[in-house]
Order: sequence, then structure tokens, then C-alpha cells
Amino acid sequence: MRCTKCGLREATTEVLKQHNDRIERMYLCDECAKGVNVGFGNFGLADFITGSPMGLVSGGLFGAPSARDTVCPECKTKASEFIKTGFVGCPKCYSVFEPLVVQTVRKLQQSDRHVGKNPSASPENAVTPKAKLEEELRAAYESRDYAKIIECSARLSDLGIKGEGGERNV
Amino acid sequence: MSDMTLVSTRIRLARNIDGLPFPHKLGEAHARKIIDKVESALAPVDKFSRYDICGLTELDGNILREKHLISTDLLSDSPYGSVLISADETVSVMVNEEDHVREQVILGGLALDQAYDRINRIDDILAQNVKFAYSQRLGYLTACATNLGTGMRASVMMFLPALTIQHLIDSCINDVSRLNITVRGVYGEGSRAEGYLYQISNQHTLGVTESEILDSVKSAINHIVEAEMRARELLKRDEPSLKDKIFRAWGIAENAYKLSTGEAMELLSMIRLGAHYGYIDISDADEYQKLVTNCQPANMQLLGGKNISVDDRDILRARYVAGQLHSIAKRNR
Repeated sequence: MRCTKCGLREATTEVLKQHNDRIERMYLCDECAKGVNVGFGNFGLADFITGSPMGLVSGGLFGAPSARDTVCPECKTKASEFIKTGFVGCPKCYSVFEPLVVQTVRKLQQSDRHVGKNPSASPENAVTPKAKLEEELRAAYESRDYAKIIECSARLSDLGIKGEGGERNV
Repeated sequence: MSDMTLVSTRIRLARNIDGLPFPHKLGEAHARKIIDKVESALAPVDKFSRYDICGLTELDGNILREKHLISTDLLSDSPYGSVLISADETVSVMVNEEDHVREQVILGGLALDQAYDRINRIDDILAQNVKFAYSQRLGYLTACATNLGTGMRASVMMFLPALTIQHLIDSCINDVSRLNITVRGVYGEGSRAEGYLYQISNQHTLGVTESEILDSVKSAINHIVEAEMRARELLKRDEPSLKDKIFRAWGIAENAYKLSTGEAMELLSMIRLGAHYGYIDISDADEYQKLVTNCQPANMQLLGGKNISVDDRDILRARYVAGQLHSIAKRNR
């Protein structure tokens, strides 16, 4: 691939440049990559050069010493530690290193958007009707209350749910 | 299914407490507070026994590890680690392992929906008392980026002797890798898993919902079960040799004076395979799996006394295997 800046040389480095909420992606040759202002966090800049996920970055993104040394103010983890190990030090690191993290996560997980459970959406009372019935059924099994077992199983069936052991392989 | 191909189901959720460094950056004082906080948050769920790793002997730690109640990482790399285990040992909550909290439910057989339902309720109760680190974009925030999002790993332990013996396991692993699935040996490393036991689990945790993860694991399980059944039919083409291997295993397991862990695993695997073909009846699958677990070194040492020698442990294992088989299995003529 040709360098998207000069169009002359072979691109060797992927660059993500942040403009407020928008991220521009560029592929640069070695020469043009040198001219990119790299650094963020303490420097108030938001240009990133990215290479590949964890530990494989070469001469790219956090190949630049200033960016590699960016430190999370909360736990003092450096960006270079994340690049090397895939581990961050605290929840705050995810916002401090966000563009790098997002790039890496996309490669690792083939997605960068959570679509699963949201704790704030969880009901105050976590016990759903299904869960309540299953709990009753479990208690009935334990106390060998056969009438209750039949009743709970029937009500679970009405909900279209298998009773405990429905999937069980014995 | 009655052949014990689907041995057990495990679902774990990785969670961290907001505002605190992840365990590898955590000091002792914070770590201890987290353990106490999680322990009290779990109180409404069930009665849990707490084991702090620093207070465990090597043997006691290995017993919990062999039962899959704690991870190797918690045992070896978590100085301030702890685990809370329910009385029936179906729920364990590791604290200060790779993440602050690793909630886990283990059930016998294939029980993905039940296991998720249970762990989800426990998670909801914990969330009422502990503020988890969470972002709208990346979901539950974890120490390693590989667990972001749902923080969920759903896995099923499968017994796959025919695919392994016929060297078909690698192509089967390749097939299911497209479904966001990884396969690894439960005991031992690589594709030649000891006891032919494999863990099938989801690879990605982000960009998928919990129910999509369960569905992808179920699809993979179905695919692998079909492949294993086809492979077992192939094995049966030479039935005299197959029967000979299984009955020899039965004979040794019933009569050996000493059994190493590896040999016991091999024999018990062949007997389990014999149950599939109806050559052997096993009356209780859960007890049979318990037999396999108890044959592991630390659990066997527990049965025999803490100062038992390796030789004596092997002698005890042989007696134990024969005794247990006598109670829960019988050979069909």
C-alpha cells in the first residue's frame, strides 16, 4: 500500500489521528510518519500511530518514546506496559489509553462495542419469575416435596422453560 | 445423551470494583478490603466458605485446583487472593485473581442456561452492594483486554476419545474456531488431552451478548458431538479390537495393585467409552466424574492422609478405583 500522505513510498505505519470525536486513519511511510506529532495525555495531543496489537508494535504507535511513556495518572501504568502485556492497571487506564486500547481490542475481539449486560439496567430486585420458580423447585427437590416439584415443573413448563435437569446429561 | 460425552458446564464472569487498581497493581490493604467486601456482598446468596490463598497449604490449594474451584493463577500468582466456595461446591468466587472478582458456577452435564441463570442472579446481587467498573462502550472493564465486554467465559467439558484416537480432533477444533470458540485440554497441554477431556469455550467476550455466547457454545457443542459420534461409529468397525481394549481396561482397573494418575485416567476413559457402546453400565455420571477428579494427585493424597508416599498413593488409587467401579459400574457380558 502507498503512503496516504506522500503517495510515493510504501506505507509501513498505521496512524490514527483524533479530531474531537472523529478518528482519521492514515497509512504512512517511514519518512512521513516521522513528521507526525505523536503523544497525548500530558501533552494535550491526540495523534496516535498504531502498529499491531500487544508487543508487536514496531516503529509505529507507541514506538515513539514519548507516547510509550504516557502514564495513567491513577495507577501509574505506562502505555508501553499495555502494549507489551495486554494488561492495563486500573479502570481509568481505559480512558487514558482509549485510542490505543480500542484499536487493540478491535483486533483481539473483532469488535469495540459492548452489547451485553448493563449493570445499571439490572432490576433492583434480581429475582425474576423464572428464577423464583426455579428456586422454589430446587427447594422442593431438597425437601423431597413431590407435590411442590410437580407444581413448579408445570408452572415452568407453562413459561416454556425446561425445569432443572432438562439439559442435564447423566 | 447417556454416554457422558458432556461432562460439566462452567460459566464465569470477570468483574472489577470501580476506582481501584486491578489486582496486579493492588496493595495488600486494598486487597484485603476487597475480599471482605465481596464476602459480605455474597452473604444474601448462600453460605460460602472462605479460603485465603496465603493460609492454604500446597496440598489444600491443589485439591481446590483439581476440582476446578480455583485457577492455577490464583494459586501461584495471587499473593492476596482468596476464594469463596458454596457448600455444594457449585459456586466459587475468586477474589484478586487476574480481576478483583471471578464469579463461577459449575454444574454437571450440559447446563448452560441453568448455569448462566444462576451466575447472573449472583452477579445482580453482588452489583447491588459493589459498584463494578463499567463503560458504555467497552462493557465490564477487566485487567486484560481479552475479557472486556461481558467478561463471560462459558465452557463445557467434553469427553472426546474417538476424535482424539483417530487424530480428527485438530480438524474439529478448526471447524469450531469460526464460531468464536476455543478448545483446549482439561488435563495436560495441547491437543492430546489426558483423559480425552476438553474444555470448549467462547473466545470473544465483547460485541456479543451473553445469550449469543451461550448459543455459539451450544452450536459448537452440537457440531463436536456429531463429529465424535461419527468417529465412534468408525471405531466400532473393528469391534473385537475395541471390545478388547475396553475390557482390558476394565480388567486392569479392577485388579491392578498400583495405578499412576496417568494410567488411571486412561483406564477410566476407556471404561467411560465402553459405557457409550453399552459394554459397561455406569449408574451415576456425577459419581464417575468425581472418581476421575479424586484420582488426581492432591485429591488422592487427601484421601490417603497428608504424609502418604507416592508409591502408597498409587496403591491407594488402585484400591479406590476398583472399589468405586464396583459401586457405580458393571460390565455387561
